[in-house]
Amino acid sequence: MSNPSRERILGRVGKALEHKSLPFSSERRQIFPPVGDLRERFELECKSNYTETIFTAGPAETKRKLQQVIASLGDGSLFAEDVPHIRQLLEHHGGDVQWSSNGPPLESCMATVTRVEALIAATGSLMVSASCGGRAGSIVAPVHIAIAHESQLLPDIESALEFATDKRLPQTNSFIGVITGCSRTADIEKLLVIGAHGPKRLVVLVEK
Amino acid sequence: MNAAREFLLRSVEKSADLTHRQIIRRNMDHYDAAVLRGKTRFADWDAARERCAEIKQEAIENLDKYLVEFESKILARGGHVFWAESSEEARAYIAKLATDRGVKRVVKSKSMVTEEIRLTPALEKVGCEVVETDLGEYIVQLRNEPPYHIVTPAMHLTRTQIADLFREKLEGVTSDDPTHLVAVARRKLRAAFFSAEMGISGANFLVADAGMVAISTNEGNGRLCTTLPKIHVVVTGIEKVVPRLCDLGVLWPVLATAGTGQPVTTYSTLIGGAHTPAEIDGPEEFHVVLVDNGRSELLSDTEQRDTLRCIRCGACLNACPVYKNIGGHTYATTYQGPIGSVLTPHFRGHEFDHLSFASSLCGSCTSVCPVKIDLHHHLLHNRRNSVNSSQRSGGERLAFRVWRWAMSSNTRFERLGRWGRRGLRLTNTIGIDLLKPWTKYRSAPALPKKSFREMWRDGNV
Repeated sequence: MSNPSRERILGRVGKALEHKSLPFSSERRQIFPPVGDLRERFELECKSNYTETIFTAGPAETKRKLQQVIASLGDGSLFAEDVPHIRQLLEHHGGDVQWSSNGPPLESCMATVTRVEALIAATGSLMVSASCGGRAGSIVAPVHIAIAHESQLLPDIESALEFATDKRLPQTNSFIGVITGCSRTADIEKLLVIGAHGPKRLVVLVEK
Repeated sequence: MNAAREFLLRSVEKSADLTHRQIIRRNMDHYDAAVLRGKTRFADWDAARERCAEIKQEAIENLDKYLVEFESKILARGGHVFWAESSEEARAYIAKLATDRGVKRVVKSKSMVTEEIRLTPALEKVGCEVVETDLGEYIVQLRNEPPYHIVTPAMHLTRTQIADLFREKLEGVTSDDPTHLVAVARRKLRAAFFSAEMGISGANFLVADAGMVAISTNEGNGRLCTTLPKIHVVVTGIEKVVPRLCDLGVLWPVLATAGTGQPVTTYSTLIGGAHTPAEIDGPEEFHVVLVDNGRSELLSDTEQRDTLRCIRCGACLNACPVYKNIGGHTYATTYQGPIGSVLTPHFRGHEFDHLSFASSLCGSCTSVCPVKIDLHHHLLHNRRNSVNSSQRSGGERLAFRVWRWAMSSNTRFERLGRWGRRGLRLTNTIGIDLLKPWTKYRSAPALPKKSFREMWRDGNV
């Protein structure tokens, strides 16, 4: 579709900018307090944003804990990101698993299991991308279980965005998400309700 | 009846509505407490505001450069970028897209720009069902009402009112409990997400260096709108561009804190296009509609250019004593509160000049703005512009000419003051109240016998 407005808008913008307004510059001051111990801070922040954290000593414990989490869920299928690590974690899982290599999660699926790109200590957030079980992998099911490693902990959002830039995530993924807690709303009388359109429960297993 | 007169009538009505006042007070109390807590997470909140203002100012001072950079990255990934000068042009593009692709159902996540361009009626006209998916937006859509607030669209309603509305329009409502009401809406909207062919979202930021659109939502509806339908359309203003991805390291937390008091919005999402061949899901088509609609003209006004820094957090509405008394709908504009009063005359003309006069100029808005827009001075600038554009009545201009003449001389000022007091005393005795517009809602102070000057001369001061 031809778009003559493009040139007109850019023309007007260019003309307007011939007159510069006073440059606005601020002196550099510390904006956020120091993050402190990454693991401690991450745990603390997750607690306040309703993310369950489970720290494990290694793959064997991760596997056991994951089974416990899955056992606590209601009926329904499980969707999992198809990577060797998650395959291993779920190898003795009794129920059905729908693997991401066969397509995105079904509407009816109960829980999703995916990796993350990074963990953010200062806000207790997970950074995911389209590579982590697709876009739906972290939003469609009532429960999202994230599998992470302690080495993925980064101090704050800015360092996570720098990490994403260095890893060329914007070039290789059409979606990057920073997830902080469960889906929520406060649209009725500003009262907090956990579980709106996305997960009601967010569990992150962090392996040493 | 003109817009200004209607505004006054609605203001009178709303400010006397005690239930309304109570609801808004409760909402604002929740908000204030959350923001107070939220700010303690910053070592220096003012430094954060300055940093955000600086980032946005840099973007706006180089708007053409960053917009073109953003566009080229989107195009390189196979996305479409459409530049719309006006609401009509933006509407026409999206309506045509919906028609061409045979779209029957559209799911929308919250976007004030789509309200600004009146997108929903245009899509309905071409036969689409349009479903708002942000809970607050969904509630006001069911009520056939515009959003009451740019961040909390249904702030003016109690849970009982919302429950009654759901009972009338939806199935399975058994209580007034917000958790239950959210579950009812979730069930209903889930069906819409999975059946819609087109998802429409706004954008909180357009990141130039990464070529990605940043969308913040708490409910996850923004995520679903941009994941499930085949087509994703982003509708946004040209001023939303920011230079670098890492700028969001401060913009995201500041937007969330100023908007709701949260450390960061639950889903802070970046989207660069349709899904790549390697990805398992996501839309097949991606369109960004860049709306100008008066913004480039505002850019040419160097005095008020900083208003384009606005990140639509709603903090100035929540701080404004006028907003809190007259409520969001009284403004009859897309953007309410101080920022709306500043912007609307630029976007929609002198018919909305009265909004800049409806302010006590207390400066609360300026003091809370996270990007440091000089809001209350802009209200003054708008008043000056309005007067200069001769939109004022002949009587008012004459009155101010007389006033200026009287005030510019000592003797004239003193003499007119004396005559004025005498005149008022006389009219008061015979029962004519010349100050009626003032005394209608207030009592006037008793007229003094002597002026300050006279008392000074008598040595009584």
